[in-house]
Amino acid sequence: MKFLTTSALALTIAAPALADTDKAAVIETYADIAQAGYEDSLSTAKALQDAVAALVAAPSEDTLVAAREAWLAARNPYQQTEVFRFGNPIVDDWEGKVNAWPLDEGLIDYVDDSYGGATDENPFAASNVIANPTLELAGQEVDASLITPELIADTLNEADGIETNVARGYHAIEFLLWGQDLNGTEPGAGDRPYTDYVVGADCTGGNCDRRAAYLTSATQLLVSDLEEMAANWAEGGAAREEVSANADAGIVAMLTGMGSLSYGEQAGERMRLGLMLNDPEEEHDCFSDNTHNSHFYDGKGIQNVYLGSYTRVDGSTVEGPSLSDLVAETSPELDEEMKGKLDATMAALGAIKTAAEEEGFAYDQMLEAGNEKGEALIMGGVDGLIDQTRTIERIVTALSLEDMEFEGSDSLDNPNAVFQ
Amino acid sequence: MTYRLTLCAALLAAPLVAPLAAPAQAGVPEALSAHILPGFAGFAQATETLAGAAQADCTAASLREPWMHAFDRWNAVADIHIGPSETGALPVAFWPDSRGFTPKTLTRLITGEEEVGRDPVAYADVSIAARGLYPLEFMLYDPDFWDYEPGSYACTLVQTMTRDLARQAAALDAGWEEQFADVLRTAGQEGNATYMGEDEAVRALYTQILTGLEFTADTRLGRPLGTFERPRPTRAEAWRSGRSLRNVLQDSKGAYDMAAALADWDLPQSKAALDRLYELAERVEEPSFQAVDDPSERLHVEILQQQVRALSDALELEIGLRLGIQPGFNSGDGD
Repeated sequence: MKFLTTSALALTIAAPALADTDKAAVIETYADIAQAGYEDSLSTAKALQDAVAALVAAPSEDTLVAAREAWLAARNPYQQTEVFRFGNPIVDDWEGKVNAWPLDEGLIDYVDDSYGGATDENPFAASNVIANPTLELAGQEVDASLITPELIADTLNEADGIETNVARGYHAIEFLLWGQDLNGTEPGAGDRPYTDYVVGADCTGGNCDRRAAYLTSATQLLVSDLEEMAANWAEGGAAREEVSANADAGIVAMLTGMGSLSYGEQAGERMRLGLMLNDPEEEHDCFSDNTHNSHFYDGKGIQNVYLGSYTRVDGSTVEGPSLSDLVAETSPELDEEMKGKLDATMAALGAIKTAAEEEGFAYDQMLEAGNEKGEALIMGGVDGLIDQTRTIERIVTALSLEDMEFEGSDSLDNPNAVFQ
Repeated sequence: MTYRLTLCAALLAAPLVAPLAAPAQAGVPEALSAHILPGFAGFAQATETLAGAAQADCTAASLREPWMHAFDRWNAVADIHIGPSETGALPVAFWPDSRGFTPKTLTRLITGEEEVGRDPVAYADVSIAARGLYPLEFMLYDPDFWDYEPGSYACTLVQTMTRDLARQAAALDAGWEEQFADVLRTAGQEGNATYMGEDEAVRALYTQILTGLEFTADTRLGRPLGTFERPRPTRAEAWRSGRSLRNVLQDSKGAYDMAAALADWDLPQSKAALDRLYELAERVEEPSFQAVDDPSERLHVEILQQQVRALSDALELEIGLRLGIQPGFNSGDGD
């Protein structure tokens, strides 16, 4: 039997030696794409902030729809940055502030009776901060008379260390714009009326001023969080510096992000688990029914990193030397395999998006128990993501990056020494 | 891909095992024949016994023992998540259930007396929250559920659930025996689109071993431990039936047994680490981890957690370093 080290080394020897400069250029492209992605997320979040201000100032069907459209537009660039998460601790530690999910939305606002109350895991699942100027969290009385970004960030979010107490980020804002989706696995998204923001006698849902304060504060937090991350990837930013510090470690970070998002996170947690639970709330953007886009752009982000190319929200392109170029130098076949699998995944995720947008077959309908068409669509995406993960592992081996894990990057300089 | 940088430092400090001086042998066929295939066969048999017992007497008191036995058998292969188990493990063992889907779904079925609860074949379409070992634990041990009468809907539901579980176990057994075992055995041969080389098959199994131990340390032990200020005893696995500690030991042993079958050399450090884990387990007084808010008991459980990690480190040293491999991506990489 032959083993990994032997085959990996054989590949290394057969291939021309790769200069570290090549890898540095690949990492620079990666950091440039991250920077552009977070900048686009920030600019679209600022547009959302403007739309929220307009909604709160003059609640109407039009201003509510405009705010929802701004939220949807803000999601697409953000989802393409999720691939930066797992390989970069700076991103992973921060991510929960903007994209935590799933959430017990009853912490924030009113919910339907079918939601139930406190759960075994979360005694605050129905605490409803908007309706309660004072409340008790983990044995402490909390003064919530003023809803501010600080209250949300420091007290409410992850209250009592419970992860589903998501008080901030895209999904909290999504809930405040759409409300609960009470259609189960039937058609339709959340249907919060604009009158939930009308102050005075026409207010629905109660406490419209506090709801407006919450939405405004949560949006403000999103903007400041994204400012922080865009700065981390700008020239001299901490995340850019960290991933650029060691060329091999940087490439590992890129591949780790691609593989972990593909397999454990997207194929597993977000897609297959929801399908197997048949729970319509197990869709990522469950209030807005935007999950088809959320999954599509997650997949797109993985492909962007491999191909070294990102199309910005203004239509311009950020591109440069890519992981694909690097792999092609070592093994053109492997590069073709990776590109083919990424294409296959995007086709499968595209089929979900098409079904949702053109046939009105929303993601939560696909989750219905016994819905074979929905299951086939979702599992098509899952299978593609799992399959591409295997090729990502092959790339780690082919680029001899595993050896680095044992011996430090400089051992790669002279692989022949191992044979002596 | 889980890169353990701290461990790498530890590995460097350890006496170097020359990875290539003597080509290492690892036995995918041996791991299959000595561990994986008998594991699934044993689980299939135990769930068949459980379903048969439920047919004869559905009451909780008479089913606890065969359920315990089925869970014991499951633990040998519980942490394998490739091949038929890639999708097939979750409906047998959906845990953790951080949003309480299991009691919610069971309550819905029982109060609505939903027809699907009487049909073991149709039951395959029910949410995984109400299928497999953990919802059965609710039915057999939770005071809100276990006191059902013979002839009641809940009684029929338990019969359906055990039959569904036996069907799942038989499908897993057949999937491994008749299909996926060959995919692993023929790794690298023409026509095998899953594993391009034997090395990939070895790494796939090795990944299962380390991922399982990581899950045991971080989740089976980490969840009830919570933080010192805020321990979370009811987040322990299978605490209602008192088998939390038993699962930790059996799952760790399952990982070690698979590793020992995969390696055709001795694993003295790993064996010692496993033996030590069993010794340390004797100090834990409450096998369902319900006393982790007591500082001394908490310490015992923390030590157990460290020892599971020590077992994992020993296996990395004795298998990973020797073969020069790192674990691949795993299903627990998400959050």
